[in-house]
Amino acid sequence: MDEKELALTHWLQARGRVAIGFSGGVDSAYLAVVAQRALGRDDVLAIIGRSASYPAEQWAVARGVADAFDVPVLELDTDELKDPRYAANPSNRCYFCKTELWSKLVPVARTRGFHTVVDGTNADDLADYRPGARAAHEHAVASPLATLGFTKADIRDRSRALGIPTWSQPSSPCLSSRIPYGTSVTTERLGQVEQAEKALRNLGIEGDLRVRYHDDLARVELSQATLPEWMEPAKLSVLVKAVKGAGFSRASLDLRGFRSGSLNVLHGVTA
Amino acid sequence: MSVRREKPGSQPVLEGALAERGLVCRVEARAGLAVLIADEATVARLGSDAELRRAALALAREQGFTHVAIELRSDS
Repeated sequence: MDEKELALTHWLQARGRVAIGFSGGVDSAYLAVVAQRALGRDDVLAIIGRSASYPAEQWAVARGVADAFDVPVLELDTDELKDPRYAANPSNRCYFCKTELWSKLVPVARTRGFHTVVDGTNADDLADYRPGARAAHEHAVASPLATLGFTKADIRDRSRALGIPTWSQPSSPCLSSRIPYGTSVTTERLGQVEQAEKALRNLGIEGDLRVRYHDDLARVELSQATLPEWMEPAKLSVLVKAVKGAGFSRASLDLRGFRSGSLNVLHGVTA
Repeated sequence: MSVRREKPGSQPVLEGALAERGLVCRVEARAGLAVLIADEATVARLGSDAELRRAALALAREQGFTHVAIELRSDS
């Protein structure tokens, strides 16, 4: 265990019992595993907030990590889509989602004796535009990975060393991030995006992949290296079929390829 | 945090600029997104030529577009 991980272990042990907002992404998976090792299974609780914007594929990863590392899990249903301020999809949409998540998760954690609630925010995230961070702050949710200076690269390296399968997993933001700000978020649209991405994964696309929603048109973002392959006539037609099968009437490929926060760029949102 | 209102890019100017570069296509402007609609041969050429893709992106950026996508059609 290196110095940084030791500092995290001490931070967790000083809190005694810790509940984690757990998505099964790279950061929260690492945090949950380290917490289980630092505190033991009785003093850790990984809480998953399940909603229409949380991909089923990600849920399966979360459960797999928890099972493999003996991390106790609690699942809560959250329903950010019922909040019209969220559904209208403003640029601070994440604030309303996280408000819904933490306002359900924190009281449940406390009634079970977990007075410290943490999330997987890392040091790199602090430089991004993340309105959800305000909601975490308002609900006294701590971010030890960010506090202790863990970057995403640090977390991947340490996850790999611990054998956590998420170490190489692409970033996995919620499905609403595929819908441009100002276009309302609905269960149907989230379902379309999720189904299209799943169909494309089934074609063998690995690594970075996003299906961006533009009404009738799906804009698929792939890693630059795979663009030539998917623009060949034979591959192109199966890609189009997969996207249309999810309910889009038109399919397109982004010429620049995958960009994290692509729709922030489209709408000029900056930190 | 700031939110900048994105001006729609100039579609006819981009069509002309792309044609000059040998990329004949129709451009559909959706705010900051330019959707290129081209025939099968042009799609294939864009796929195999990274330099041409970079040129299309640069020309679109000059016209105020932040994103460029090529429409894929089973018949293209």
